[in-house]
Amino acid sequence: MPTFAHPALLWGLLIAGLPVLIHLINMFRHRRVRWAAMEFLLASQRRNRTWVLLKQLLLLLMRVGAVAAVVLMLAKPYLPSRWGGVLDRRNIHHIVLLDDSYSMTDRWADTTAFDEAKATVERIAEDASRQARRQSFSLLRFSQAGGEDGDARPDVLDEPIGGGFLEQLGGQLRKLAASETAVGPLGALEAVERVFARDASEQRIVYLLTDFRARQWRNPAELVPALERISRSGAALHLVGCVDRGRANVSLAALAPTAGTLAADVPFFMEVKVANHSGAALNDVLVMIEADGSPRPALRIPAIPPGETVAERFPLRFPTAGEHVVAARLESDAVALDNLRYAVVDLPADLPVLLVDGSLDSGDAVYLAAALQPGGPVATGITARIEKPRYLSQNPLGEFRAIYLLNVERLDDSAIEALEEYASEGGGVAVFLGPACTPAFYNERLYRGGHGLFPLPLAGQEALPVDRLEKAPDIEATDHPIFRVFSGDRNSFLSLVTIDRYFSVPENLPEEAHASVAVIARLRNGAALALERQFGKGKVVVFLTTAGPAWNNWARGNPSYVVAMLELQAHLAGDAGAISSRLVGDALTVPLDPARFQSQVRWIPPEASPSQAATSEAAVLSDGRFAATFSAPIAGIYRAELSGKDGSRQARRLAVNVDPLEGELDIVEPARLAEALVGVDFRYQPAATFQYAGEELSGASLAEPLLLFLLALLLAEQIVAYWVGDHPRNAIGKGGAG
Amino acid sequence: MPDSKRFLHPEAIKRISRLDLRARQIVEGFLAGMHRSPYFGQSVEFLQHRQYTAGDDPRYVDWKVWAKQDRLYVKRFEEDTNLRCTLLVDVSASMRYGSGAMDKYEYGCTVAASLAYLVLRQQDAVGCVAFDEQARTVVPQRTRRSHLDSILQALDVSAPANKTDLYPVLHKVAETYPARGMMVLVSDLLADRPPLFRGLRLLRKRGHDVMVFHILDDDELDFPFEGPTRFECLESPSALSCNPRALRRGYLAAMGDYLEEVRRGCVRHGIDYALLRTSQPLDAALAAYLSSRLGMHHRN
Repeated sequence: MPTFAHPALLWGLLIAGLPVLIHLINMFRHRRVRWAAMEFLLASQRRNRTWVLLKQLLLLLMRVGAVAAVVLMLAKPYLPSRWGGVLDRRNIHHIVLLDDSYSMTDRWADTTAFDEAKATVERIAEDASRQARRQSFSLLRFSQAGGEDGDARPDVLDEPIGGGFLEQLGGQLRKLAASETAVGPLGALEAVERVFARDASEQRIVYLLTDFRARQWRNPAELVPALERISRSGAALHLVGCVDRGRANVSLAALAPTAGTLAADVPFFMEVKVANHSGAALNDVLVMIEADGSPRPALRIPAIPPGETVAERFPLRFPTAGEHVVAARLESDAVALDNLRYAVVDLPADLPVLLVDGSLDSGDAVYLAAALQPGGPVATGITARIEKPRYLSQNPLGEFRAIYLLNVERLDDSAIEALEEYASEGGGVAVFLGPACTPAFYNERLYRGGHGLFPLPLAGQEALPVDRLEKAPDIEATDHPIFRVFSGDRNSFLSLVTIDRYFSVPENLPEEAHASVAVIARLRNGAALALERQFGKGKVVVFLTTAGPAWNNWARGNPSYVVAMLELQAHLAGDAGAISSRLVGDALTVPLDPARFQSQVRWIPPEASPSQAATSEAAVLSDGRFAATFSAPIAGIYRAELSGKDGSRQARRLAVNVDPLEGELDIVEPARLAEALVGVDFRYQPAATFQYAGEELSGASLAEPLLLFLLALLLAEQIVAYWVGDHPRNAIGKGGAG
Repeated sequence: MPDSKRFLHPEAIKRISRLDLRARQIVEGFLAGMHRSPYFGQSVEFLQHRQYTAGDDPRYVDWKVWAKQDRLYVKRFEEDTNLRCTLLVDVSASMRYGSGAMDKYEYGCTVAASLAYLVLRQQDAVGCVAFDEQARTVVPQRTRRSHLDSILQALDVSAPANKTDLYPVLHKVAETYPARGMMVLVSDLLADRPPLFRGLRLLRKRGHDVMVFHILDDDELDFPFEGPTRFECLESPSALSCNPRALRRGYLAAMGDYLEEVRRGCVRHGIDYALLRTSQPLDAALAAYLSSRLGMHHRN
């Protein structure tokens, strides 16, 4: 018996009764003619009665048959039995692309999306095994699809479905679990043609088992070409939705230290961001905090509006130097993996900074050092070292977290070179000018037409006349990290600062000279007071006045000076939070000095014992660094152990987190999906009601023969209808009575 | 008020009036007319001279010839007889069918009226019998021109209602008009053929010159119907719902057989037969027929 791909359409067979109905209606819609020559008509009718009846019956049957054939053809009939196998001996290749991103851990009732997907995979294989035609099976998880270089690792590759296959597949599926990646379907779709399309003669059915999250499928512009290629290749494309509906979910979107000085025993703030991926506001969201495994007071976020992310800060302080692990955890919800987030905070024992003072008494440096390292009970973690300019050319600068030039009259070339190398490598340099400074040196040696680290050429010293009328503050700060702390009501101390002298910069420089330079503070007369530019990987901040009280009163008893200098130091020292942005699936990289360390690095994944460590060989990366890399398949804290050539061991810890965006559990409805995938020939089914799709190919499709039959039937119907006289040839003349 | 003049088509009258309607067989009549008689007698039309023989009526001696030639000749006159024409018009219900401008009834009446006019114009006597299953109206033969109105009225008032039964009608006509004359039957002849032929034979036996104008509609001859149709008999309660195209071939065959049977029957009895379609122009049909009939007469 033929089976149908769309059995529901068989209800349409009721339409086949339509010709009979029309015939019956026509019997009542006879045109009436009052006729004289009845005798001959009755004679003809007597003579032809049986034959006419038979012809009309034949015509009626043909019409019923034609309508039924159209309905059957739409229902896509096929012969699933051995006849189909006999008719078509080609292999059917079932290619299952299985979404194993962590959103597939979406849990409801006693199942998850991934469990539903696995059950569907088994159902496909079971149904395929019952077919007569030769069948083969491939299974590829999204996370194993690889990139364009073709290193896809299918779990099953073109295995014939035969004896023992189902047990083997069942065993493999039981071992499979959703990954912690956020990988999308693109890689797997592109792998279809690359990996599986080897036999051009086989018939392929591609099943895409995924959760159709709105993030990837609402505007699937980049997926459509890959899907079109699959459907154009002649493969049948079946999209199987493994999630019944979108669910509310809360994700930890970020966990990182805020900008500030990070050092042992120095308090700092961590910021945690919580995203509400639901349509309703959440109240009293509790975030549990752990620091080095010890619980800390939990955070309570009063409210998170729907679809929004709320950031909350909490203070931390680690008394010891080294790497410290901070973890944040949310209460459980639909998806558990994004409820946990890690960060590794590397705290040095202290932060050495170099203050290079050009004056004989190092007056400015003393003030600045007092601000950075106040001493007493206040710990800033900063160790200020005051040196003369020649120190720059005679000592390595790499250990310093920032270098300050204070009223430096001149530097020799080697010092300039060392300083510029330090800055370009990522070091922060701050320059305070003073009476000893001359525009000639700064313009020719440090600015060098824009090639040096100094941001702008100096014009000359200027005095800022005292304004006794308006009483406007001398410093007008912008919204820069250094001055952000003074914004709002807290700028009262900054407004008390009085600037007497400063170096002006020419205002009429060409635009390109200004392009990379930002004025981060101005004087009340509009002249620039503080400038910033990026130099290589590092930052250069220039204050066009003195660090000490020679040209201003900022350093003398104004608390804002201490605050601004500490913020300046934090700004120059760089972004400590960047280390927390590693995601599952990224390659972990540990750069090492080949002179000090052996090239072999041991990697201990999260929750693994040292005996389970893997080893990777450091190599020169594409960016020129010598580093060891390791793939991070799960979230957690990875430990990289470096062996020193002197026998010492050094460990580094790296935090790897899941991509919080994968926690958005909105799904695309099938109707919307059909709109988004216009031009792609596909069939969508939910996993819960999945019906095996291979039968239509496993047997011989009857749609084509049925089409031919229909055409023949329609042709025959026309002939018989003409024969029977059912087709009008031309209009009848005016009738008689009627 | 019925318009009895509607059966007189001026164009038809004008065209056919150029022809003399002549009986195929010479009939004797009592009115002086234009029809030649085999009998010599008192007439105005001189035929020939003949030498006098004893016993001839001295009234017919042509004294002018005697005066010129001194021989006795008697004048011989061709006796002009009167044509007694009887129009037998079928007004049964079956004549009510029509697909064109006129139905068969109207067409038949027009044929009859045209002939009546022509006959009267020739000073001949014409009568009319309108019949269905029996003679409905009988108009006696008269020669005066005003007699045409009586015929037209008789045709007009004869609303067709009943079925055709020709034998009793023809029998009655034969009884009613014993004198030989011309019988013109205008009918669709949709009746049983044996009684028809029996009646026609009776007329011929009584010495009548019989002409049959067989009036049929185009639809009846061509049967062009399409689509589901219910045919309801005009003369009986019978009806038939059918697809006409399916029955057309059989119908046309039966119709052909019927026409052939009628034509053969008429020929066998020496009856002039003409099949007229209601779509044919009436004047052309009558003119063509009467021309051929005249030709036949001259050949005789």
